[in-house]
Amino acid sequence: MSAFQVVDLTRFVPELLLGGCILFLFIGDLLVRDERKKRIFLTALALAGLASAAAAVIPTFWGNVQAALGIESYATQDIVAAFSGQVAFDPVATVFKILFLVITGVAIFTSLLSDELPDRHMGEYYALLLSITFGMFLMASANDMLMIYLGVELVSIVSYAMAGYRPRDKRSSEAALKYVIYGGAASGVMLFGISLLYGLFGSTELTTMHHAIVSWASRGELPVVDGVIATAKLFPLTVLLAIVFVFVGIGYKIAVVPFHMWSPDVYEGAPTPFTGFLSVGPKAAGFALLMRFFVGLFVADGQNGYAATDGFMAMAIDLPLPAMIGIIAAATMTVGNLAAIPQTNVKRLLAYSSIAHAGYLLMGFVVLSVSSLHAVIFYLCIYFLMNMGAFAVCQAVRDRTGGELLHDFRGLGKREPILAVAMVIFLLSLTGLPPLAGFVGKFYIFAAVIERGGYWYWTLALIGVLNSAVSLFYYMRVARAMFLTEPLTDEPLRAKRGYLALSTVLVVPVVVLGLYWAPVSESIRGSLAFFRSQPMSAAAHPSVVDVREP
Amino acid sequence: MLQSHLPLFLVLVVALGLGVFILVVSSLVGPKRPSAVKADAFECGNPPSGYARERFGVKFYLVAILFLVFDIEAVFIYPWAIVFSDSTRGAGTLSPLLVVVEMVVFVGILMIGLAYAWRKGALEWGPEHGKGLETTTAGH
Repeated sequence: MSAFQVVDLTRFVPELLLGGCILFLFIGDLLVRDERKKRIFLTALALAGLASAAAAVIPTFWGNVQAALGIESYATQDIVAAFSGQVAFDPVATVFKILFLVITGVAIFTSLLSDELPDRHMGEYYALLLSITFGMFLMASANDMLMIYLGVELVSIVSYAMAGYRPRDKRSSEAALKYVIYGGAASGVMLFGISLLYGLFGSTELTTMHHAIVSWASRGELPVVDGVIATAKLFPLTVLLAIVFVFVGIGYKIAVVPFHMWSPDVYEGAPTPFTGFLSVGPKAAGFALLMRFFVGLFVADGQNGYAATDGFMAMAIDLPLPAMIGIIAAATMTVGNLAAIPQTNVKRLLAYSSIAHAGYLLMGFVVLSVSSLHAVIFYLCIYFLMNMGAFAVCQAVRDRTGGELLHDFRGLGKREPILAVAMVIFLLSLTGLPPLAGFVGKFYIFAAVIERGGYWYWTLALIGVLNSAVSLFYYMRVARAMFLTEPLTDEPLRAKRGYLALSTVLVVPVVVLGLYWAPVSESIRGSLAFFRSQPMSAAAHPSVVDVREP
Repeated sequence: MLQSHLPLFLVLVVALGLGVFILVVSSLVGPKRPSAVKADAFECGNPPSGYARERFGVKFYLVAILFLVFDIEAVFIYPWAIVFSDSTRGAGTLSPLLVVVEMVVFVGILMIGLAYAWRKGALEWGPEHGKGLETTTAGH
């Protein structure tokens, strides 16, 4: 633990640039009078902020990838926890930050096009959107329960406001209210879990708790807090309880069963560009946080500073965490897919599909191996492309027809063939059919689960495959409406050019990554190193915990 | 851990005990001469007008938020002043200049917030100004 150092700020440059951009957006909102010009000006300003943050992140990312390829060695000063160990700066955080910046960039573009967002509110809208990105950055690099909570709350509270963004729209207000109530309850439970962890370990720092868990697993030593030793009988149970409570808070962010109830209503009621963002951005940040939390606490230190690759050390200490996460993953994908089948509102359908995808992604956490963590990040990158693409098409249809029901998609194949074809490609990729990117992503996840071996893991993978087959049914209902039903009118849709351009831009990587995914996959593989400090007693020097194979 | 929190518990116990003590003793010992004026609702010394459960302007919500922001600012400046005075005497590790710059950044951000609220009309609460606000009064 060291006090605040000015040098910490130099690592925080991307976040500071985002923060500065948020302030400029507020000022810019006041400066420009003409509302149409204001929209363009503020969009440019927000994109400039993102670009400057990206310019600050990319060199670090590139350095990490080169180090992984063996071209250079890690600059160890680049893998640290700054601000008294609260925020970790390591390759995993960096790769997530790049993903978040790209997601936000696409979201800004869809927001610019949308008819649902009035010109006069764009300043606030973009400022809030970038605040969420800032919060996601904190979530991806949190190294302390306090920072985890702060990141989650920053993202949540701003999301509540954004969900109710359509003025005087009852569904939008309903969405916001439901979201607030669910979010408040979940974060309360999570705080309780954090307080239990603090009581058990005497610290909120992930690395300190990790070292306590290591000595418990390897030598049976229980942590001593303020001279009091934990009760041997109750300790594992209380740890499990605390983990479950924290999982409630994160699980609500990524919308897993049984904390998913808010998501269909919120997705339906929120403005569509924000729904698209919400379904990938905060979800990816939630998975980043889950990764930090579980790897930070439960992945053992391996030899030569590498982490062991055999997943939960918790197995050695009789915590049923893999079983718990496995059951939640299976329940999440099954409930999500089954509930999606009868939907007639495409936004709601995509909401349930995104719940199902949270289930697939959660499978990676059952195993918690190098290949599964790699698969989760890789799948998040691909999921973002196809899901935001599907929402962009949905938005284009909504802007012209005023609705987003299956009914409104009828005959889209004739009325706007480019959008319809793009939508089919996104949906097939979401199903996970080759040769599209979604197949590669799912393949990596299932492979990581099967690789672990054992009856239960094979069952879980089988459930995942069966669920993918079920999902084909409801995705194809949308395709059927677009191509096989009689259109209500033959008149062309005349969607804005921007939507055509955007869906084309998103279709290309979905197709290309299905055939040639090595660069993305390898740079993620090269970024799988987590910050971890030595035990307090051993040394004050931090070390790198690299979960890649030695 | 328990021992370090003992003073806190003592304060709680004393506070609770004192409150209960005052209420009980005054109800036992105090003279009881009720009158119509005494039984009235207390409204800052004025004769009460109207019924308490009525709708009032949602604008007050905005006033409360603004108050909260600047209130927190004041609270934050107090500990900052201690750190600053330590740093001028060379007691802390931080240079006084850095400490001042940090506070300037903080107050600067708040100033932008004030300018924004002002320009957006959050500080105009007369009936003729309320039109500019997104959240106009409910009722009346």
